[in-house]
Amino acid sequence: MADVRTDADLRAVRTRWVGRKGSWVAAFMESMATATPDLKKSLGRGANELKKEVEAAIAERELALAATRRPANAVDITLPGRAPTLGYRHPLSLIRDEVIEIFTRLGYQVLEGPEVEDDYHNFEALNMPEEHPARDMQDTLYLATPLMPPGNPEGSPPQGESRIAREVAHRLNPQPLTLLRTHTSAMQIRHMEKHDPPVRLVAIGPVYRKDNLDLTHTPMFHQVEGLVVGAGITLADLKGTLGAMAEALFGAGTAVRFRPSFFPYTEPSAEVDIQCIKCKGAGCSMCKRTGWIEILGSGMVHPAVFEAVGYDPDAVTGFAFGMGVERVALLKWGVEDIRLFYENDLRFLEQFGR
Amino acid sequence: MKVPLSWIREFADVPESAEEIGTLMSVRGLALEGLERHGDDTVLDFDVTANRPDCLSIAGIAREIATAYGRPMKDQGGTAPEPRADTTVSIPVTIDAPDLCRRYAGAVADVTVGSSPDWMQARLTACGVRPVSNIVDITNYVLLELGQPMHAFDLDTLAGHAITVRRARGAERLKTLDGKTRTLTGDMLVIADAERAQAIGGVMGGADSEVTAATRRIVFEAAWFLPASVRITSKALGLRTEASVRFERGADLTAPVRAMARACGLLEQIGAGTRAGGVTDTYPITHEPRRISLDQRRIDGLLGMEVPDAEVARILTSLGFDVAPAQSGRWMVTVPAWRVDIRRPVDLIEEVGRHHGFEHLPATFPGVQQAPGPSDPRLARDRRARTAALGMGFSEAITFAFIEAAAAEPFLGGHPPVALANPLSEKFAVMRPSLLPGLIDAVSHNRRHGRRDVRLFEIGTRFDPAGESRGLGLAWTGLATAEHWSGGQRDVDFSDIKGVVEQISAVAKASPSYVEADTPYLVRGRSAALIVDGRPVGTFGLVDAAVAERRDLPAGDQVYVAEIDLDALAASATGAPMRATTLPKYPSVVRDVSILVDDALSAETVRGTIQSAAPSTLILIREFDRYEGKGVPDGKVSLSFRLTFQSPERTLTDDEVQTATNHIVDALTRHVNAIQR
Repeated sequence: MADVRTDADLRAVRTRWVGRKGSWVAAFMESMATATPDLKKSLGRGANELKKEVEAAIAERELALAATRRPANAVDITLPGRAPTLGYRHPLSLIRDEVIEIFTRLGYQVLEGPEVEDDYHNFEALNMPEEHPARDMQDTLYLATPLMPPGNPEGSPPQGESRIAREVAHRLNPQPLTLLRTHTSAMQIRHMEKHDPPVRLVAIGPVYRKDNLDLTHTPMFHQVEGLVVGAGITLADLKGTLGAMAEALFGAGTAVRFRPSFFPYTEPSAEVDIQCIKCKGAGCSMCKRTGWIEILGSGMVHPAVFEAVGYDPDAVTGFAFGMGVERVALLKWGVEDIRLFYENDLRFLEQFGR
Repeated sequence: MKVPLSWIREFADVPESAEEIGTLMSVRGLALEGLERHGDDTVLDFDVTANRPDCLSIAGIAREIATAYGRPMKDQGGTAPEPRADTTVSIPVTIDAPDLCRRYAGAVADVTVGSSPDWMQARLTACGVRPVSNIVDITNYVLLELGQPMHAFDLDTLAGHAITVRRARGAERLKTLDGKTRTLTGDMLVIADAERAQAIGGVMGGADSEVTAATRRIVFEAAWFLPASVRITSKALGLRTEASVRFERGADLTAPVRAMARACGLLEQIGAGTRAGGVTDTYPITHEPRRISLDQRRIDGLLGMEVPDAEVARILTSLGFDVAPAQSGRWMVTVPAWRVDIRRPVDLIEEVGRHHGFEHLPATFPGVQQAPGPSDPRLARDRRARTAALGMGFSEAITFAFIEAAAAEPFLGGHPPVALANPLSEKFAVMRPSLLPGLIDAVSHNRRHGRRDVRLFEIGTRFDPAGESRGLGLAWTGLATAEHWSGGQRDVDFSDIKGVVEQISAVAKASPSYVEADTPYLVRGRSAALIVDGRPVGTFGLVDAAVAERRDLPAGDQVYVAEIDLDALAASATGAPMRATTLPKYPSVVRDVSILVDDALSAETVRGTIQSAAPSTLILIREFDRYEGKGVPDGKVSLSFRLTFQSPERTLTDDEVQTATNHIVDALTRHVNAIQR
């Protein structure tokens, strides 16, 4: 029986042992005809027992074989299933959500702001008065016809005389919206104008600059802006915070480095590098052999910015940072051409998560 | 700023290699952009930030390097005391615009014009400045070394042998050194002789007073011009020079005579000439050094790291500040004239922080004083819409917010476009009035790159003269169903896109009604608008073939699109908080009704008729079949409805359900001429 593998084997065994003709049992029955009646009786009983035993063994084997047999209506489970269509997330949207998650975890509120701005919020209140050389650092796109802002949105009740005066002035003389914001920093001003410290926010969204399209530039890109204001906020707090963000975005153990720099709206200012994610600081072509890659600009909020929004620079300090979402995505996923983010080629989009 | 290491070493005692210096300075505020070998010398190229005009000089960068290494500056550095001007007047200088020119130093010299020596040419070349002649090279050498721009006039070309610093006279013309004739305006500052303008102050000299091979006598100029004035002039003329870049960021008011002394010294050193007479220094209001009171506690308070007092004093002194102890934990710090960027205590704290080293900053976290404020409600709202769109098979697109004017045109809805004054190109001329042009282009891109089935959506801002609004745009072409070996595929149609719109509305808790719409970019009879509270909040349907063709979609492509104003939809949503209701205890009863009606009659009218005739126990009406063709007379359509009745209080009897159904059929017969089948 152990050698019986197929239905045919089983049929052969049945024919050979218990078949009507020519089997062991049939032959035995035939040869019994010449035996004495007594002997015939006992031999007959033995033959029947043998037959039962063989048939039981066959039945058992038949069951075992049936259990291994593929049902006639079996489906080919290797064919692809009928998958409901599921869309892919845009890579910039994935980074954006990661950043929102990190800062929500750290207790920040997440804000969005207008993309068409007035000169005051984009430049002047950020310590970049007209004819300030730093305006050249961000080549601005202007509207052909300024838009007039809609009615004044409600804010928290004004506090302090200068604040009231300013709010009234803004209400009476809404500034024409003349430009596309060059950075999300404009949101800092809008928020601080309406809310007293402490402040702990990230603002996120598209910004615009007159940059030609190339491998690393697009005239529209996305920024994450962070702002924390309160009593005793320090540059060291900024370093801790950005370190936590870098580890969350680029993996545990990602070191950050501060390099002194200049922005009109922060003092001190620092450009922040992460340890090169490709060579881990050893030096490679990606980091130009320095071991470090720049990811954002930051610093301590300039006292002139606090004065513009009616905060007392002697009572509070704060830090701010601005980071390009595209830059993070480029580094994190090794995207070689920033323009791919705006082509929306499904062959590109489908390389990222859902 | 390119600086040869040999030149730096004339000012600062730094035996370290260029690589070491570059690495250290990168974390001290001077980012190294590149390193080049020039013979035996190495040239370091530093990126100097816009606030540091003093570092657009060898002396300024050497001072930073000396401070970073804790070494003293060598004697001839920029900190040397200002030489006194000679009182022998050799060229009369009149400043008619003292608001724009606070200082003007001039000196006359007899010269022999020729080439400058090789060492000087080599240094200029290494710094990216083309050698011209010994006289011009001296002015450039001093500019690079001390950061003070200088100019040389051919004295014999100056009418009256005198200099007047004044505003240009209306439409005064001047041929500048680059050979272009420029028309000046009355707000521009010129250096004039007795008759006419001979140079644009702080920007560029004039061709007619240029030093040439024939020049015998020159006037050296070292002056101070108002930054804003130079900036406006340079911008208006489209003329940026080594001089204008330094003046517009703020030059050192104490430097002109020092620079003049250096230039005259070089003149004699290289044998190009000798000074004739004294240095004229017209300097009506002398520089008053800025003094800042620095609270020692503020340093740790702002940086979050402790810097020992001695280190604070060392850093500031090395950078040229004078530090004097004042009362109760304060210093009185005097700012050197070349540090035009230092105005407040925080500016000093930055100097201390960066030279002590940001690498010593600990990593701490801001303490929380109160709960964070609420996030922008649009974030959660948009996330719900995004999740729904993804779940319905649409991939997320992000397109540029500025588009071609022609692409925007069909979507303007009667408004003028929000155009840019200075667009990057025609392709980015106007702000998008709708998300659809960008999505249609993205579909077109994918179709032309071998994709048959495309589903894309974008959540983004639209712009019109009234301002910004946030929308959700969707585009769908190709198969409506997943491709599968078992077959059963079909292409997307109107019902598919309407279903998507219905789901998005449901996610937003809005219940829009639908009306036929005449939309310029959609096919009539295949387009509709969503109405909420009597206002349109979106449109959807089949993209017009001509619009599709203009965006290079393959001929015959059927692209269904939808666009929903998320702001308007959210505003209309019922604000009532969600409440749970208990599940029904009593069974529901179902009745099917089939009727024949005119084929032009809308399903909504029929549903309305049913609703108005039904008791409150009718909880659901569902169309389950619509049939035209064999067995149905021309102009008629067979509609089948499934009516579900249920009461929360009791089990409904067959009789009452039948009575209600009969009542409904009666109403249909009377109001919409229905014939029961």
